[in-house]
Amino acid sequence: MKPEAQSVYTRRSVLQGAAAGAAGLCLAQARLEGATSPALPERKTKRVVLVAFAGGVRTKETFGKPDNVPNLMRISERGVLYTRARSANLGHYGAALSIFTGIAEQRGIRENSRGNDPTVFELVRKELGLASNDVWITTAGGAQQVNYSHSVHPDYGARFGATTLDGDGVFNREFRSLLERYGRPREWPQGEKDALVQVRRALSGGGTEAEQRRANSERVEQWILSELTRGTAEMTGANAADAKALRLARNLVTLFKPKLTAVVLQEADMAHGNYGGYVEVVRRNDAAIGELWTAIQADPELAATTALVVVPEFGRDRDLNSRRGLDHGDGSDELNYVTCLCAGPDMQRGLIVKDEVSVVDVAPTVCDLLGAKGRGGRKLPQLYS
Amino acid sequence: MLVALALALAPVMQAPPTQSPRVLDAGELRRVCLDLLGRPPLADERARWIGQPAEATLVAITESRGFWAQWLEEQLWYFLLVDQFAPRGDSVLRLPDALEAGEVDVRDAVHRLALAPNFDQRNPGADTFVTVVMEQLCGLSVDKQRRELEFGKKMYDGAQTRFLGGEGRTQSDVVKLAVQSESFARHYLTREHERLAHAKADPRALAQWTKRFQKDPREYPLLVREWLSGESLERRLATRRPISNRVWARSLHVDLLEAEPTREQTEPMRQALDSLADPAPLRSVMARLLLDGGKAKIEPLGSDRAAWARAQWLRVLGREPRADELTAVVDALAQPACRVETVLYALVTSEEAASY
Repeated sequence: MKPEAQSVYTRRSVLQGAAAGAAGLCLAQARLEGATSPALPERKTKRVVLVAFAGGVRTKETFGKPDNVPNLMRISERGVLYTRARSANLGHYGAALSIFTGIAEQRGIRENSRGNDPTVFELVRKELGLASNDVWITTAGGAQQVNYSHSVHPDYGARFGATTLDGDGVFNREFRSLLERYGRPREWPQGEKDALVQVRRALSGGGTEAEQRRANSERVEQWILSELTRGTAEMTGANAADAKALRLARNLVTLFKPKLTAVVLQEADMAHGNYGGYVEVVRRNDAAIGELWTAIQADPELAATTALVVVPEFGRDRDLNSRRGLDHGDGSDELNYVTCLCAGPDMQRGLIVKDEVSVVDVAPTVCDLLGAKGRGGRKLPQLYS
Repeated sequence: MLVALALALAPVMQAPPTQSPRVLDAGELRRVCLDLLGRPPLADERARWIGQPAEATLVAITESRGFWAQWLEEQLWYFLLVDQFAPRGDSVLRLPDALEAGEVDVRDAVHRLALAPNFDQRNPGADTFVTVVMEQLCGLSVDKQRRELEFGKKMYDGAQTRFLGGEGRTQSDVVKLAVQSESFARHYLTREHERLAHAKADPRALAQWTKRFQKDPREYPLLVREWLSGESLERRLATRRPISNRVWARSLHVDLLEAEPTREQTEPMRQALDSLADPAPLRSVMARLLLDGGKAKIEPLGSDRAAWARAQWLRVLGREPRADELTAVVDALAQPACRVETVLYALVTSEEAASY
């Protein structure tokens, strides 16, 4: 690997690119998509970080055992805890997708395709006229999870999708080895860039939309190259994939300050064959969510405007299986009910709601927090102060 | 004299016109190869197959090891036996050779995949394992077949019971009964037809294929050739679809390095590309890694810039450049800062190259 000083892509250049592009691109895109901002109650919340603590996580190992999750306990003092959130055992993929769509729909357990209902990312992007860099999702579960970014709904789809990144997929040693093998892209002189634009215009037929897509793509390209030098690729351990997803989210939240950032975790599912490992994943993820929260609180602008929502897609069986692990299929309350945490500037503090709510209430709630109507649906009750 | 000539020619004039065989042009061959081999044709294949009868080309391709290697790749993806769940044992990795040699058929091969330790690790526990077997091997909805699921789970846990019409008492019996079932044959052919012909199968035709497959699974390559002939081939060639990241990564190597890449070369690329919902930014990075790193094998420009451009368009996009494209590229190449790499970068990262 060449030293960072020689790299064309630095944290500064990414920041400059992001700052320069954000406002103009956002406005241009809003005009392009014909969006209008609806009049909704004025709230302090301008940003939401939504963590799908997925992989199957029981309340028993989280808020039922505070020693495992000291950070989530700490954060809950700044918000509302829903201790009886009904979930649906639709397989990890279907259940996690329902957090983002607000609709529980049976999906094949290994189905590697997008859903039919628009996700919260598409809803807020379309309604609020947000640019793709305003809505991100980082994941830990491999290729299947990039499908969360957007649906195949004809009125929404890819053009309103989240910028999606699976941390463990890009930031790993194998990908770094590619850079080491081939070397980093060099800076092209202006004359060459002009020639490239000329050929590209001829190939694509030109057009503002195509050029905006290209500009956005180049910024993401620079951020990825910059992130590769920050050590994310070196993370290892029981929850490495989850840790990368959370770390990327933390860096994104503080660097780009997106309106909506989602994180999907997955490693708790090792519980099938390793109960101890599962508890360790819960503890480590609690620590990483704590770091994310601390980073938000350390930035006055983010602290004043950012809400955090943490919710598992479902729990796990009541009893250990024959391998001394925990499956998810017994229909017990431990499987069907999880705890949902919401914290942020507009929310009640230290409130525990024991009434039954639903995991699918999260998507309408996130829309509401950001000032979007979405597609309606029940919101989490007693949330606002 | 004229009458005699007319009489002499009569048999020739009345005979039905002999239909010339369907041949594949550069673009069509590229798309067929991307479907069946998971990569564009190599230089020697282009020389051998462009302008040749499609039927003979399809026979050559479906009898090659590359066809079976691509088949295995697709099955592993279908079952999501990738990344940390990718099989490492010889019993699976040797499948392309065994399939090419006729030692096993596709049903045996899928059976072997579902018995591999990685399949078990990917789908841990009775509920998950039997659900995946029912859904992915047989195309059954567990939501509508709860009883069958419960029987399968009992069999998985060691109880003697019936599942999908057969008796058994082990986890491997669950798999065996599934791959022997008619629902497996029907579902397998449905998804393979959709993958290769890019269309839903006609129910009546599917029933016929299922019968043939149940009788002898070695019919599969013949079915593939049927799916890619006549009207089916024309229908397939009339539509474009997005190119997957793994095929894109392999295409990039063939287009820029003129060689079939190894798995070690493309896997890190594919894995990284699959990590983004929109892989365009990373595809650009990768194209530049190869081009800026000086590894690309590019035909020298020479004095005829238009001829050079035509050759690259045909190779990468499978078509001649339009007049405006030709003007733009010849003009760009006349500028001192523009390299041949610049043009190839524009080609391999174009929206057109992202579909086939």
